[in-house]
Amino acid sequence: MSMTRRQFFARSGVAAAGTLLGPGLFASPLVGQALASTIGDRWLVVLFLDGGNDGLNTVTPVSDGSHSHRADYDLNRGTGSGGINLSIAELAGTLVGNDPSTGAQLALHPGLAGLKALYDQGWLGVVQGCGYPAYSLSHELARMTWQTGNPQGESAGWVGRHLASSSGGYLPTDVPGVTIGQRVAPELRQSATSVLVVDQLESFGFPYDDLSAAAGDIAAKRLAFNRLYSSWAATDLQDTKRFLGESGAATLASSEIYPQLHDLYLANRPGWSEQYAALDRSTARGLREIAKIIHGNQQGVAGVDARFFQLTNGGYDTHSNQGGANVDGQHYDLHREVGDSLKVFYDDLADMGLADKVLTLVWSEFSRRIPQNQSGTDHGSQGPMFVIGEAVNGGIYGNHPNLAALDDQENTVYSQAPGLFRSTDFRDVYGTILKHWLGMSGELIASEMLVPDVAHPGGYWTVPNFDLGFLP
Amino acid sequence: MIDPDAVLDARSARHILRRTGFGAPRNEVSSFTGLTRGQAADRLLAFPNTIIRPGGSSFRESHNRWVKSMVKSKAPLQQKLVLFWHDHFAVGYNKVGSVTNMAGYVALLHRHAKGNFRTLLKAMNRNAAMLEFLDTARNEKSQPNENYARELLELFTLGVHDLSAAGLENYRQADVVQIARAFTGWGYEYNSGLSYFEEGRHDYVEEYDGSPNFDRGPKVIFETVGGFGPAGRSFVVAGEGAGEIDAVIDILLEHLDSDGHNTTARRIARRLCEYFAHPEPTLAFVDEVISDSEFDSTWNCSALLRSLLVHDDFYATAAGPPYQSSSRKSVRWPIDYAVSTLRLLKMRPVGGSAQIRGGSYLSMVDHLDAMGQLLMEPPSVFGWDWETGWISSATLLARCTFARDVVASRYGSTRFRPEALIDMTLTVPGDIVDAVLDVLGVSDQIEAGERQVLIDYLSDDGARESLDLAKYEARQIKLTGLFALVLQSPAYQLQ
Repeated sequence: MSMTRRQFFARSGVAAAGTLLGPGLFASPLVGQALASTIGDRWLVVLFLDGGNDGLNTVTPVSDGSHSHRADYDLNRGTGSGGINLSIAELAGTLVGNDPSTGAQLALHPGLAGLKALYDQGWLGVVQGCGYPAYSLSHELARMTWQTGNPQGESAGWVGRHLASSSGGYLPTDVPGVTIGQRVAPELRQSATSVLVVDQLESFGFPYDDLSAAAGDIAAKRLAFNRLYSSWAATDLQDTKRFLGESGAATLASSEIYPQLHDLYLANRPGWSEQYAALDRSTARGLREIAKIIHGNQQGVAGVDARFFQLTNGGYDTHSNQGGANVDGQHYDLHREVGDSLKVFYDDLADMGLADKVLTLVWSEFSRRIPQNQSGTDHGSQGPMFVIGEAVNGGIYGNHPNLAALDDQENTVYSQAPGLFRSTDFRDVYGTILKHWLGMSGELIASEMLVPDVAHPGGYWTVPNFDLGFLP
Repeated sequence: MIDPDAVLDARSARHILRRTGFGAPRNEVSSFTGLTRGQAADRLLAFPNTIIRPGGSSFRESHNRWVKSMVKSKAPLQQKLVLFWHDHFAVGYNKVGSVTNMAGYVALLHRHAKGNFRTLLKAMNRNAAMLEFLDTARNEKSQPNENYARELLELFTLGVHDLSAAGLENYRQADVVQIARAFTGWGYEYNSGLSYFEEGRHDYVEEYDGSPNFDRGPKVIFETVGGFGPAGRSFVVAGEGAGEIDAVIDILLEHLDSDGHNTTARRIARRLCEYFAHPEPTLAFVDEVISDSEFDSTWNCSALLRSLLVHDDFYATAAGPPYQSSSRKSVRWPIDYAVSTLRLLKMRPVGGSAQIRGGSYLSMVDHLDAMGQLLMEPPSVFGWDWETGWISSATLLARCTFARDVVASRYGSTRFRPEALIDMTLTVPGDIVDAVLDVLGVSDQIEAGERQVLIDYLSDDGARESLDLAKYEARQIKLTGLFALVLQSPAYQLQ
């Protein structure tokens, strides 16, 4: 009962998003031409650290440099009971490069030993001070801003807009995006192509009853199911109905293809599967599902053309009991999970010969308050992002925020003013990926993809060049 | 408009039963048909408050106990309201770390489900699970923790922006800080779940060593916002100390939006309209329901709900196909999907592990986790993503698995028993399909084309003109398969 690509006729995504955007973007021939088969043999993975990752205890100053970064750090992060200060000695094993503007020595949190190893391989780009003007301290609003690249409110996700606009590259019948988890990731949302949501490939098959199988009734049941959902996919009466219809039909079709990717990976790469399993963490398990799909893709399994992946690790809202460098601390544990999982993932990809074909972007909706509270940190402003892959020009990009001049909410100040502390607009990071990884022109990105911040004309992209330098 | 005297036809009766309970069982549909909207609402709202406190020796046991209580509840509307408040005041076991205190939180939701919203807020301020989940228990005068204060404003009451056309901001960061200070000093006993106030940890009291607390003193909030004028409001009117957290609630419930309407009343009413009626209620619908019930002064949730249930807009999504209304139907929550199915099929999960004994033999806790709604473990403080947020390839397959497993439960007293649901002497495929649709409460929501798909399945594309349901294949394969298909169908996922 193999399925052809034509049978992936149905699309899932968020209908409302497409309605909001209107048909103009999708119809733009410019976009279609620019995007035709741009990603080629590449893949993009987006990892979301949900809850607001404490950037200051992720990329931490070890020395003052020409400013006072370390001294300011010590003033704000305590050492006693409940203190989350990372001492210079505790950071000795995870040193990375220097702050480009002040020369201060920087280190990753000691839990991020896995990322330190990738940094030493030259595969990690640290982008400091990523944010946007008039930041929101609300998880929801901040998350939406980052996921859409649009501070003005709801629209399709920033990756989703790329997928939807690739009319030259993607047919509505393709499934270019996969979310690992239970819900379509907002970054991938749009209404023009399918987005698959997979928790575990192994159990992604359609649940037929054993008696039906024995009685030869499966084909009849499959046909009825497909007809019920397809009739809704065709209707234009209601967004919700169409969404449900398309989801059901796409689910049935992909459930007949994707489970075999699990078997293929297990047969070909059992030792690598074990390495993820040994970490016993959801990030590792999620990255393994992505590795399975990439492997199947590389092996040319028919009907598998996913190129964009999203997964989430939660638990970063560390208002309390954040912990410092102690290995049983909450933040340490989160960092270790992410660092170790990404290291195994890239070792696996390198062994497949694909480490230079897969780019991973790590982000969080905001960083946290500079002064700590009793044992944790409240919501803050800008923080670091990571870009990972053999294709990345490893190093430190963007400037460390100024801890000595906090705003009246005790957060670092986002500013595009030239100088030692000029911030990085997170949309410049997206733009660099869209331009240098996905091959879009800067003009198209600025006009079609990343919505200008009309409320803060002076604060947004003093020089939006989409050339931060971490990709060739 | 508000019209309590309109009479319910069968379609409207099915609608109000689906929305306020778990599915529309045939006997209930016939007893509600012919009532006025007001009579139906009064009957539904008359339930006595049953307090469910789902304790146990583990999270799974507690979760399953709560689900089982829903399956047999005599007041499904109370359960629907408890689920609404659970989403609204989202608290997760993973951080709370105590089954007992989570059970206390669930019991609190039951006690106030249709009661006074002001009372519910004040009780929630002091609830052990909430004190833990949003860090009030760690909110010290020297280092105020803003977690609870921010969510109290953003999620539990005002919202970030008001519902006026202008959508102005309802509060500023300074208000979050001041309210966080009011909540300093609170804690709870882990074992008993009893909360207490320690004056020495409270913001108003100076440090023991006499060191100055830089901003100690009366707290002022809402300067220039909320209709309080440039001076804002000071807590001093209610006195400093333990009473401040009540004073905060009283001030919040006076906050007016830029239209001059009560901000919190509008937000809560709108949320309830989204939950019970349809995803995009107009502001006029929301305001009429508030003004009819006087919710913005009485905070009586039962009265608000009655006004909602007698409003025309509540019935806007009752119609069946071809469905032309501009109001979208709602996607059933996973818990609603699972509990409705069990109740309509007259089945119960088995034993302390609340197992469904067919197919994968999973416990209810695992079924619901896969469908995307593990109770007492919302994805974040925002609760769950409703509507199409419930639907993905992963969660849809989980619903299909649940449907398969339920009808594959073949042994024991809890087995799937179609003979207890439909007339087993029926032989015509179309009659059998109609009987199954009626049992599952969706007979008026299926299009003719979809009905024909089901008939084609049952008759093997017309190859057999009649079925003998006493025979093995007709019963165990085809009839059982038909039930599964309807439970898996798109129409059954909506309401």
